[in-house]
Amino acid sequence: MIQLTNIEKYYANKGVKNYVLRLVTTTINQGEFVSIMGPSGAGKSTLLNIIGMLEEPTYGTYHFMGEDVTSLSERKRIELYRNHIGFVFQAYHLIDEMTVYENIEAPLLYKKVGSAERASRIADLLDRFNIVAKKDLFPNQLSGGQQQLVGIARALAAQPSIILADEPTGNLQSAQAEEIMSLFKKLNEEEGITIIQVTHSEKNAQYGNRILHIADGVVKEDVAVLS
Amino acid sequence: MFKLNLKIAWRNLWKNKVYAAINIGGLALGLTAFVLMLLYINYEKSYDNWSPDLKNVYQIREKHDFFTPDNKEHWQEISNSRIAGIIKESVPQFTAVTKIDQEWGNGFSVKIDHADPVMVKGIKDADSAFFNVFPYQFIQGTAANALKEPNTVVIKQSLANKLYGTDHVLGKEFKLVRWRDDTGNSLKITGVIADVNTPESIQFNAVSHTGDQDHDPDQIGSSHYTQIYAKSEGDIDTLSANKSLQKVYVDFKKKSFAAEKLSFKDVYKDGKSPGLKAISLKDVHPNPPFSLNWLDKLKPVIGISIFLLVVSIINFINLATAQSVQRAKEVGVKKVLGAYKKQLILQFLIESTLQSISALFLSVILIEILLPAFNHQFNITLSFWHNEYLFSIVLQLIAVFIVVTLLAGCYPAWILSNCNPVSVLKGNYGNSLKGITLRNVLVVFQFIISVTFIIAIGVMHLQTKYISGKDLGFDRDKLINLRTGYDQNFADKIRRIPGVQYVSTTTQVMGNAFNNKSKIIYKGREVNLNGVTVTMDALQTLGVKLVSGRLFAKEYVQDTINSVVLNEAAAGLLGKNMVGQTYGKVDYQGKTITFQVVGVIKNYHNEGFDKAVLPTVYKVSNLGGTSNTNNLLVRFDTKNYKGVINKIEGEWKKLYPDFPFQYQSMDDAFSEILEENKRFMNMIVLFSVVSVSLSLLGLFALSTFVAKRRTKEIAVRKVLGASNFQIVNLLNKSFLILVVTANLISWPIAYILVKKWLEGFAYRIELPLYPFLLSSTISIVIAVLTVSIQARKTAIAEPVVALKYE
Repeated sequence: MIQLTNIEKYYANKGVKNYVLRLVTTTINQGEFVSIMGPSGAGKSTLLNIIGMLEEPTYGTYHFMGEDVTSLSERKRIELYRNHIGFVFQAYHLIDEMTVYENIEAPLLYKKVGSAERASRIADLLDRFNIVAKKDLFPNQLSGGQQQLVGIARALAAQPSIILADEPTGNLQSAQAEEIMSLFKKLNEEEGITIIQVTHSEKNAQYGNRILHIADGVVKEDVAVLS
Repeated sequence: MFKLNLKIAWRNLWKNKVYAAINIGGLALGLTAFVLMLLYINYEKSYDNWSPDLKNVYQIREKHDFFTPDNKEHWQEISNSRIAGIIKESVPQFTAVTKIDQEWGNGFSVKIDHADPVMVKGIKDADSAFFNVFPYQFIQGTAANALKEPNTVVIKQSLANKLYGTDHVLGKEFKLVRWRDDTGNSLKITGVIADVNTPESIQFNAVSHTGDQDHDPDQIGSSHYTQIYAKSEGDIDTLSANKSLQKVYVDFKKKSFAAEKLSFKDVYKDGKSPGLKAISLKDVHPNPPFSLNWLDKLKPVIGISIFLLVVSIINFINLATAQSVQRAKEVGVKKVLGAYKKQLILQFLIESTLQSISALFLSVILIEILLPAFNHQFNITLSFWHNEYLFSIVLQLIAVFIVVTLLAGCYPAWILSNCNPVSVLKGNYGNSLKGITLRNVLVVFQFIISVTFIIAIGVMHLQTKYISGKDLGFDRDKLINLRTGYDQNFADKIRRIPGVQYVSTTTQVMGNAFNNKSKIIYKGREVNLNGVTVTMDALQTLGVKLVSGRLFAKEYVQDTINSVVLNEAAAGLLGKNMVGQTYGKVDYQGKTITFQVVGVIKNYHNEGFDKAVLPTVYKVSNLGGTSNTNNLLVRFDTKNYKGVINKIEGEWKKLYPDFPFQYQSMDDAFSEILEENKRFMNMIVLFSVVSVSLSLLGLFALSTFVAKRRTKEIAVRKVLGASNFQIVNLLNKSFLILVVTANLISWPIAYILVKKWLEGFAYRIELPLYPFLLSSTISIVIAVLTVSIQARKTAIAEPVVALKYE
């Protein structure tokens, strides 16, 4: 599904190249649950951003579902966002001016899903995440864990084939973190959604089935998790 | 999607209520000023537009120097009445020509049966061809027959209703008395015409045909000046028509000069030339013969209102972009959810549209509220909803609205939709300084406008104080003008009333001045002076100040023959020690008459302060020609002259029962002269208050956002030990630089503008420095106060909150 070949990312500063990523080559298949781990500044988030096409690599090729996306037009990229990729952020990034319901609805509107279909999908998600009662609240009226649930519901609404999560539990207490991680695991196992997450926590990484260890921009280790 | 965007827009506005109010309110103010101006311009443009047939109506203008304020040649609206006949005979392009007499004085007296006489303004005396030229719509009577006979009158419906309470007045008669001892004409109403719905350059309530306009003066040497209008059948080539007009005019002049034994060359020298032309009626109002036309008069106001609109748009942009920090996250998230940039731009444009629509509604309300005051200020009747051209005004309004919305909305929309999702989602967008330069420039621009306004107010205030306190050269206290001709019998009667000190007449008094050119020869040199005929004690009545020599007095026999008094301006032209000197004047028969100067008086004002006092010679004698106009001056020797006036009115009623008594005090005449200036000043004050408050609101909002944006920096500084005062200073400093820059830029701008304004006055103050200093101080102080309110709030906040947030 994702094929990265010799991906490099550097910032040139006074003729000196500061590498963030160096010759990263890896393949992630449909249905995998990959955790990217490493110390601060290792390039984890940059790698995730490149996978999410939020940043462009300075060098290397990137195939997403068999398509070369290093030189993709904005329009095509947005099509991919609409249909295949869901993002989950550490700071949740819900839109403050929208209610829970509207936040989940937003991607469906961009995807031009019909209103009946929209209503049933949202109802389904609200139900599944147990937040039906909160649908008319605004994000600032929710706890962090609840906000992240909404964030995930929003990411799932468009029925993406892959979810990219940047430290999804970074701002949460451990009980809530566990809840979120089990949810990810369930989504991966039961619905076959590919998940790539960046995390600091060894414990969270264990929920997945593969860990990429990164240090100083280089993939040091690529190990499978034995369940 | 659209519905959701509207909802978000609404929630955002609600969340930032204060800023939204500032935004909308500011824009509404700017729009209001602009729309009022639009209405005014539409009004001025609608002159003489009440019938499509008016495009074939022309006004005839003759170039001459009679009745001019400066004794120079102008293309004038009044022409020698003989010209009408000549056009009828020899210019075939014009199929109908009519003469309309000028209106003299303050209206005419109308006496219906035995009722008290009432003054009616706008009764124009014309010849029988008036309705052949002007296509008025008759409610009663017919255009062809109405004015056929002499002593007939056609009145407008509104006047009919006012005089009789009905418009069924055909065949009724009233007595028209045009001056106080006029025997009067009994006029028969032969027609009622509909009032027109646009302003007219020939304003009238009734057109009479007394027969006076049917003949030209018998003597070749005397002429009668009237307005002349001509009508063509269909479109004509104005250029060739004007060529024929010029030709017949020169022929006519040559012929009449020959009869008067004058040489054509002698009359038309010193750059003077004969001239006659026809201008289309629609060009009459935009081209007044002496004063500036309305567009030129209005230019500063148009400029100001555009500026106000720009200031409010700037505020709008400023606040919207400042808010972009808050909205950035929404944009970033929406981008990764799959929104096109186009959709985002559209969303933000919809938001600005929402705000500008609210502003538009608010401004329509404001216009409704302000219109009466505005009408009063400009002495016109504008209306919005009942406007004849509502459709076109609404179109213009929509155009303005679209331009404003695009101007105000595009930049913020572009800035917002352009933000990079990665940096936004990482959370450091708020710290970026993008757009701050532009915002600073905009704030500087706003302050330049505001400071310039404040300086202008200061200088205008000083100038107004100067002219209202200026020595007029005569004593305006206890002096009234009866606005009527001098009659020895009546004057003697009121002289005998106790409390009356002097009774006299002159052509030169404030409120009614009439200039008459008089060429004299002094020591072989030809000098043009303004010649004024006065009665013996006119100068005493005015209370002018003597510089040297003496004023006219009964004791000197020669005063009724050849004594003259000069004013200082005239004396200055001729030389020093003028008292006792003599000069010559050639009368129309070619004889030279010698006059002797007996006194020199201080210049006194009889017109606005924009005009210099003309070099003038005063004489009692009627040698060398006289001039007179309706001024009867009465000076009292008591402050309490109300009772004396009643007694004068009693005498008046005995002598002139058919003409109402009226008078104007010199104090009122003086206030009238100051009026126009006062109006302009009031408007500038109003506009500057609006502009300054808009700028302050803008600054307030901007400082709030900057303070918010620097929250972290401030928290860190506090942790490092900065005091609250130091923090307030820190925030103030960045804004102070902007305000000081704005001051530096606005000084030269204000200097140029104010200097130009002052140059419009013949009597003016030296450009003072202190309005400049004052306005800079004011602007800096209020800017510091405005910023400090916000800065203090941020400064006293607990640093933990800000630091934890990161």
